Amino acid sequence: MIIAIAICLLIIAYLIAISARDLVRLLISLELMFSAVFLAIIPLFSISAQIAFAVLVITIFTSSAELLVLITAIVITDRLRKGVEIEKASVGGDTV
Amino acid sequence: MDLQSLLISSLGILAIVCAAGSWLTRDNFYSALYMSVAMLFVAGIYASLNLQPAVVLITLVFVGAVGIVTIAVAATYRAKTSRRVSLVWTLPVLFVLGILGYAYIGKPIVEIESAGMEFVGEYFLAVIFLISMMVVVMLSAIRILRRVGL
Repeated sequence: MIIAIAICLLIIAYLIAISARDLVRLLISLELMFSAVFLAIIPLFSISAQIAFAVLVITIFTSSAELLVLITAIVITDRLRKGVEIEKASVGGDTV
Repeated sequence: MDLQSLLISSLGILAIVCAAGSWLTRDNFYSALYMSVAMLFVAGIYASLNLQPAVVLITLVFVGAVGIVTIAVAATYRAKTSRRVSLVWTLPVLFVLGILGYAYIGKPIVEIESAGMEFVGEYFLAVIFLISMMVVVMLSAIRILRRVGL
């Protein structure tokens, strides 16, 4: 059941990502994806609580750091390109 | 279905509803708020399984730090038309959700082991107060933004 909830959250997060028109929505969808990851870790607690807790701590701190870097990137994108719309974000010449 | 399964199901449904609200709302600020509430429900699932250290980490680090910064960023870059929903995706999504519901609705919840993680057990009331304080802070943020008229 927990895995089903996690997959539902993941699907909704993907829907937010594909329907996003600005980078803030992408950030929100990423955070929802990480919440699905947190739920997917729960069955690991039935095998070994210590290992699962260590995995959870590593996941929380790496994802938090990643999201804070993304927030910084959004602010920098706004300064450089005068907006946070998806159309203004491009990498290597390809429009995202 | 026992009480714990019912509680987990309820919290999961509330988390999914909040995530759907985050998708459907047109305002980035409210989308971020719905996302934070969905995170709190995910932390609630951990709490219902007696995994309080995970609850503290998720609420303090993920919702408390990253979630609040996301709400601040979303309040700064608010947009009324920040999504474009394609109805073509609705049918496959409902199909997948139907398959999941059929496959997992009757599965029992595995026994969760929480040995060696009892260091927050006696502070459970403090954790409840912490979550209540975060909800009050979010409500205050909404009120301030409405007063300013952003």
